[in-house]
Amino acid sequence: MTTAVRQLLDDPQGAAAGILDEGAKREIRRATLTAVCVPGYQVPFGSREMPVARGWGSGGLQVTLGVIGPDDVLKVIDQGDDGGVNATNLRRIVSSTTHCAADTDTRAATVIQTRHRMPEEVLGEQHVVVFQVPVAEPLRGVQRSSAECDRMHAEADYSAMWVALYEDIVRNGIITQSTGYPVLVNGRYVMATSPVPRWDIPRLHQADHLNLYGAGRERRIYAIPPHTPVNPLTFDDVPFEVEYAPSARCDYCGSDDTYLVEAPGGRFVCSDSDYCARTSAGDSDTAAHRAVAPLAWLPDPARPSVKSQPASLRTGAGSSSPAPEPVRPVAPFDGGDWMLKVDKVGKVFGPGGERAVAGTGPSFGTAVSPLTGAIVAAWDVSFDVAPGEALGLIGESGSGKSTVLNCLIGDERASTGTVRLASVDGGSTDLLTLSAAERRRLRIDTVSIVYQDPAAGLDLRVSAGGNIAERLTAAGWRSYHAIRRRAAELLDRVEVPLSRMDDPTSTFSGGMRQRVQIAKALATGAPVLLLDEPTTGLDASIAAGVLDLLRGLLRERDVAAVVVSHDFAVIEALTDRCVVMQTGRVVESGLTDQLFHDPHHPYTQRLVAAARR
Amino acid sequence: MTPVLEVRDLSKTFTLHTIDGRTVVSLRGVSLDVAAGEHVAIAGPNGAGKSSLLRCVHRTYLPDSGSVTLHLPDGRVELTSLADRKMARLRGREICYVSQFLETPPRAGALEVVADAARRRGLAAGEAGDAAAESLRRLGLDEALWDVDCGVLSGGERQRINLAAGTVRPPRLLLLDEPVSALDPANRELALSLVSSLTSQGVAVLAVFHDLDAIRQLATRVIRMEDGRIVASGTADEILDDLEAVS
Repeated sequence: MTTAVRQLLDDPQGAAAGILDEGAKREIRRATLTAVCVPGYQVPFGSREMPVARGWGSGGLQVTLGVIGPDDVLKVIDQGDDGGVNATNLRRIVSSTTHCAADTDTRAATVIQTRHRMPEEVLGEQHVVVFQVPVAEPLRGVQRSSAECDRMHAEADYSAMWVALYEDIVRNGIITQSTGYPVLVNGRYVMATSPVPRWDIPRLHQADHLNLYGAGRERRIYAIPPHTPVNPLTFDDVPFEVEYAPSARCDYCGSDDTYLVEAPGGRFVCSDSDYCARTSAGDSDTAAHRAVAPLAWLPDPARPSVKSQPASLRTGAGSSSPAPEPVRPVAPFDGGDWMLKVDKVGKVFGPGGERAVAGTGPSFGTAVSPLTGAIVAAWDVSFDVAPGEALGLIGESGSGKSTVLNCLIGDERASTGTVRLASVDGGSTDLLTLSAAERRRLRIDTVSIVYQDPAAGLDLRVSAGGNIAERLTAAGWRSYHAIRRRAAELLDRVEVPLSRMDDPTSTFSGGMRQRVQIAKALATGAPVLLLDEPTTGLDASIAAGVLDLLRGLLRERDVAAVVVSHDFAVIEALTDRCVVMQTGRVVESGLTDQLFHDPHHPYTQRLVAAARR
Repeated sequence: MTPVLEVRDLSKTFTLHTIDGRTVVSLRGVSLDVAAGEHVAIAGPNGAGKSSLLRCVHRTYLPDSGSVTLHLPDGRVELTSLADRKMARLRGREICYVSQFLETPPRAGALEVVADAARRRGLAAGEAGDAAAESLRRLGLDEALWDVDCGVLSGGERQRINLAAGTVRPPRLLLLDEPVSALDPANRELALSLVSSLTSQGVAVLAVFHDLDAIRQLATRVIRMEDGRIVASGTADEILDDLEAVS
């Protein structure tokens, strides 16, 4: 026992203030109230260190000390039992410094601090359950940056979480996450349930009691207030299941509806020692317990495995496969019907804004402002694209074509100009005025981009199918099988062998990665497709294959495409119209074959001459 | 009769910035009409501006001045100033240009190229394939070559694919630039009879042939060009006899 704890126990009166002073209590109570008001949201708080090692329940201790009063009855459990060293210590610290009573009987307790279990006993509105949380952030496994996790919560952007579930099912046929299963609280926030078994998850849904979660290391408090919907994350067609050992019973009390742990000799025993002892003694309401036990979530042995071999997903294989997505005929585009309209877009890197523009451009042969030293990467760039049409953006490195594309997609903030999409408010909204979050949402199913570097558009740690699942789940797809079929269909279309569908894309060749990136860009049928040097990083024969693929895809789809390239061969193969850029300006535009056969601007003539190798 | 194509005072000069801004004059005020069902053949020596005229009509070249008007059932369209997007659309549907050399996307097969052309003319994917097959069969292209990369085929085979793509559905205006120069006599005959049947179906044809027999066989009117100008116009016999007398 540490010296601090010894001092506490020797001088409880004096130590009560020392463990958690009134200021800290207020801070914790304020955070707790906020957490109750916004179910599932992690509220940061500040507090002094607790006299227990982190990982031994310091977060739970802070919350318990913040909410407990002298009339409360405290129960502390660790793995399910009240007698562990840690549970005993915590119970003694709290009861001796707050003068509350302590009891191991769940029925008598009002505040229950716990780590790995929820008590088996039926809980009611008189109960507050305080969970000691080792890792508060449910997204930690899929995203290491805290700032990015915060953004994902703020935008309810949980597709990375869904991809992790998808990958788990692909690899294992089931969701293997056992403890701390992620749940969606009140339809809004994804929350980590601390390391309770899946067995305890269903009892969080619409519970009569209050659940509080305290994470000492991360200094976060979050809560599930009574009567709040709590849904474990799972696909519509992959049921959530609790742990189950066929025909297992507790070796002591005989229960078959409690969470059982394996004991030596192949026996099973209740993890909740309090409930087990009382049941053995005939002092428990077993019928009431059975009513709240998660028996509806036991695995159905008759259910076929969800694991599917990629080959079986091939369209036409198996009777349940739907008809392939019909290839849309190219609707003839008609004059003014643009899908994407870019007007006078400009981007200045550096000081001066509009003042920096004078003295730059093709006639001065530089993009660097003589006045401010800023780089005028693009200025006064305008074009529009109709559905079923492909527009080329050609120019040498540094001509500003990628800058324009980055401004379109939102990777870069344009200095000036407007960008409109016919499908967003009928074209009346300037995309450049939208928030970063709104622009990110547009990228899910409205504007897709294929980058030169596949690593920019793909998560290489994730399988080919998982990368497509990312886009689909972001767009709201929740059927595992529908996602599998759609991914297989897309990969088939871009000629990625289905046998590689479940392999991490890091094991793919460059050309194959690019094909996966294209499939991902097409996944949600976005009406605008941006291609940034799609074949540039590939060697000649592979680039040719990807180019042929893109040509076929653009022909069969009704997308409005913008193709950025420095290679006239790519522009010629893919586009009808073309814009030529030099040092940030549009120097010429026209029909692609006209620019190739009858270029007017000196720069275009040089470009064409260079293309004739 | 209203013409399908009306060309007025068309001029084109190329400025070669890569060679110190040297200029090359290609057309010097060309005017002509082509009506539906008419086959106007352009004759003249190399460099007279025959191909430039076709390309200016098709807007592969952008003329400097003058007008090119296409008459459609719902009105007339000025091609020299038409928006690029609308021009691209007209090209697929109303105007077809068959050049001497096949210009296809790399690695595309004959059936794909012709079916693409058919789709641009508004046929559904399934019908386009059938129409393409029929068109290729009609020009006698061996079926074994239909899915072979066009780039490896012979000049004569490529020319027939080109012609098939241009005529898979009769356009309003057909521009032909030496479409049979590489064909053997039998295939040449097939191609010429195809053009002749299109003319009789009401297609307006503006064509460049070096082969005077082809002109005699097909043309309803002949125009002689020299140095970017039209120097004579008349029946095939009038113009060609003159031409032969000169040479």
